[in-house]
Amino acid sequence: MDNSIASYVLQYAGSSLEAGLLLYLGWGRQCKKQRAVFFGLFALLIAGAGRDYTAYQFGLRSPQYFYVYWSTDYLLVISAFLLVWLFFRRACLCEEKMWRYIRLSLGFIFFLVVGISVLSISRNQDHLFTYFTIEFNQNLYFTCLVLNTLLYLLLQQIESTDDQLGLLVCGVGIQFAGPTATLALLHLTSGQHFAESLATSVMRLCTLGMLLVWAYAIVRVRESTIKVTGRRIGEPALLEVTAD
Amino acid sequence: MIVAVLILILSTALFFFYFQVTCQKILGRQFDREYFQSIANANRLEFPSLRKSLEDFGAPVDYSRLRMMLRCDFLALTYLLKNAANVNQRYTYDERLLILYFRWQFLSLAVRRLLKLGENTAILRLTAVLQYFANVVGQRVNAVKFGNLTAADYLLNL
Repeated sequence: MDNSIASYVLQYAGSSLEAGLLLYLGWGRQCKKQRAVFFGLFALLIAGAGRDYTAYQFGLRSPQYFYVYWSTDYLLVISAFLLVWLFFRRACLCEEKMWRYIRLSLGFIFFLVVGISVLSISRNQDHLFTYFTIEFNQNLYFTCLVLNTLLYLLLQQIESTDDQLGLLVCGVGIQFAGPTATLALLHLTSGQHFAESLATSVMRLCTLGMLLVWAYAIVRVRESTIKVTGRRIGEPALLEVTAD
Repeated sequence: MIVAVLILILSTALFFFYFQVTCQKILGRQFDREYFQSIANANRLEFPSLRKSLEDFGAPVDYSRLRMMLRCDFLALTYLLKNAANVNQRYTYDERLLILYFRWQFLSLAVRRLLKLGENTAILRLTAVLQYFANVVGQRVNAVKFGNLTAADYLLNL
């Protein structure tokens, strides 16, 4: 009972934060500048709304919810891949040559993951939907995690001054690492109950963690940039300090 | 099976890596000036001298005293973070994250001590968190004015 309450609290805190951040981006007309974040938040919100609606209409134990849950999970994992793609694009804005090479590699990696997942289900055709979903999601999440780490290393390599992107990438790393680990655990334990409930909680916790890091990156890092550039030499620092 | 185990180990390690990097990025925030020294002096906090001794001589004071110093400074600073010139009387979420990071590093300090892995890295990380907290408190206190004086000026003139 306590576990499910905690799970609902995490879920609704996450949804509120998603909606709040989307509103903040829309209100500040930053959707174009932060299109990767906007896209990621939008995908999370749509998937969450779809799941909530199905749970409300048909119940948590209904087959409809089961299919909607795993189908939206597909969408989430594919949108996660696109999110990393968009972050790579942002990191390589001034490196067109590098971007062409990265774009090709990302496309190749995506089809490679699909191929590996299809190969692995050919051996487990009895539980086609569940097995493929878990296998495919685990593989793609892990790929996103590796790509995200490569992106982090790339940012260090090119000595990027985009602090905001650095924090956004860290947030995505937290979001990918937790679910990947729990999906692998789910795979190892053949979907036992404790692993299932752990996976649900960890996924929500990691999503919330990512959203908090994103919120910090968008609100605070942007603000500090404005403050630094807006400061005049010789002006007392006290004038620009605001209580957090 | 082996692939799943590998994924489990790698992704768990990467989770902690990203957690640490996020905290360090937050700790890397630039303040317009260094407030921590005045806060440390006013509250008799020991982390600046601990950090200095570590940087100058490479060896901290004895372990039990070190733990006590860090814990006392942490308690004092978290209290100040929550109550000093804080209208909301609560931590922001980045402060909560750093509190969690401090506790994790504190645990890591004990583990490093146990395994004899060298504690200096963990101590420097812990003092970095304390310095950040002191800077935040100092910045907040500096923003509060008493007449024409800031809180810091007021305290200095006492």
